[in-house]
Amino acid sequence: MYSTLSDEAVVRRVLAGDDEAYALLVARYRVRFTRYAVHMLGNREDAEEALQDAFVRAWRSLRRCRDPEHFDAWLFRILANRCRTRMARRKRYEATFVQDVRALSSAPADRPPTSGHEDPGYDLAIDRALASLDPDQREAFLLKYVDQMSYEAMATLTGVGVSALKMRVKRAADRLRGLLEERAHVE
Amino acid sequence: MLNDDQRPKGGEEPRGDDFWDVEIEPETDSALERLGAALRQRSSALDPELDHRVMATIRHSPRGYFRAALRWWTQPRPVRISPIGVLATVGALAILLVAVGRYFGGRGDATAVTAVASATGAATSDTRIIRFVISAPRASRVNVVGDFNGWDTQATPLTPVGEAGVWTVEVTLTPGRHEYAFLIDGREWRPDPSTPKAASDDYGSPNSVIIVGASST
Repeated sequence: MYSTLSDEAVVRRVLAGDDEAYALLVARYRVRFTRYAVHMLGNREDAEEALQDAFVRAWRSLRRCRDPEHFDAWLFRILANRCRTRMARRKRYEATFVQDVRALSSAPADRPPTSGHEDPGYDLAIDRALASLDPDQREAFLLKYVDQMSYEAMATLTGVGVSALKMRVKRAADRLRGLLEERAHVE
Repeated sequence: MLNDDQRPKGGEEPRGDDFWDVEIEPETDSALERLGAALRQRSSALDPELDHRVMATIRHSPRGYFRAALRWWTQPRPVRISPIGVLATVGALAILLVAVGRYFGGRGDATAVTAVASATGAATSDTRIIRFVISAPRASRVNVVGDFNGWDTQATPLTPVGEAGVWTVEVTLTPGRHEYAFLIDGREWRPDPSTPKAASDDYGSPNSVIIVGASST
């Protein structure tokens, strides 16, 4: 019933006491932001917890959202912080995530879903390559290549300048390209 | 060179070999495009219950202390009770009721107070003896206070008669109109229910009126 409302209108409804309207914002951004969180954190379970945490935190402090028209950017920054917090907590695990291929293979339930690529090792190679990136570079790469956002939109969402984002994407691309080429040569 | 809008926001500082004054346009790469597409496809299988979990958490997570307090008072909740707990609660309530009853009962009971003032005879040719009677079973002391004793709350105490809580005193009054009231236990003013009330009272409690004369009542 609220599907045509703008983010700003929904935010105002929620602030007026209609908490159920918040479900629209959850439905509107869950896919896009879960995708981001999954690839930032490297496993779906952590990603969904981070996203749930971000949605609830955003709701609790909705009055502090100064620009409801760009609720998505505000939510994204909360989510990005939650992901960084989780990454910091899991630092030891992440080191294992990058280095121990066999450990990854033995925990399929905790990994992102597969792409259906004909090469069964392709998904694992993607995981390793993404996990090897600096979090800022990984974030920029995901927004550019997975969410297919413009640099201007990325800047609005992240609060980072366009040039800095381009630099991050370039470094991420160089790194990923090298890893993928390396893998192709090995095969 | 970059203008201010192009510089990184959020306090980010250049690090290492970040050259902010160089425009960088990452070239498109088909391998990376394929990688992005593969990641999009992998992300399609998400937990459909996420929305429900978020909303369930929100419904049970009041925002702010006021809403938390309001929800605490208004939201139904299961209550677990034990027989000993019920007995203790009932006992505590009974003790509380008895204590309250004793406190207020000791001050006299409006429904139990009845009084009558009547002329019993003539003291002299110019005066009459008036007997004041009041029934106040729970009172420990009673005084009659009026213009005839200068509204002195201690001047005219009543004396208990028998065990029925009846108090009485005889006062010599001159003919004319007199206002008075009973003071129970030094703190509770009671008008005489058997006589008319005065039209006004300067102190917030009504007084009674007695007319003393040849045909006094």
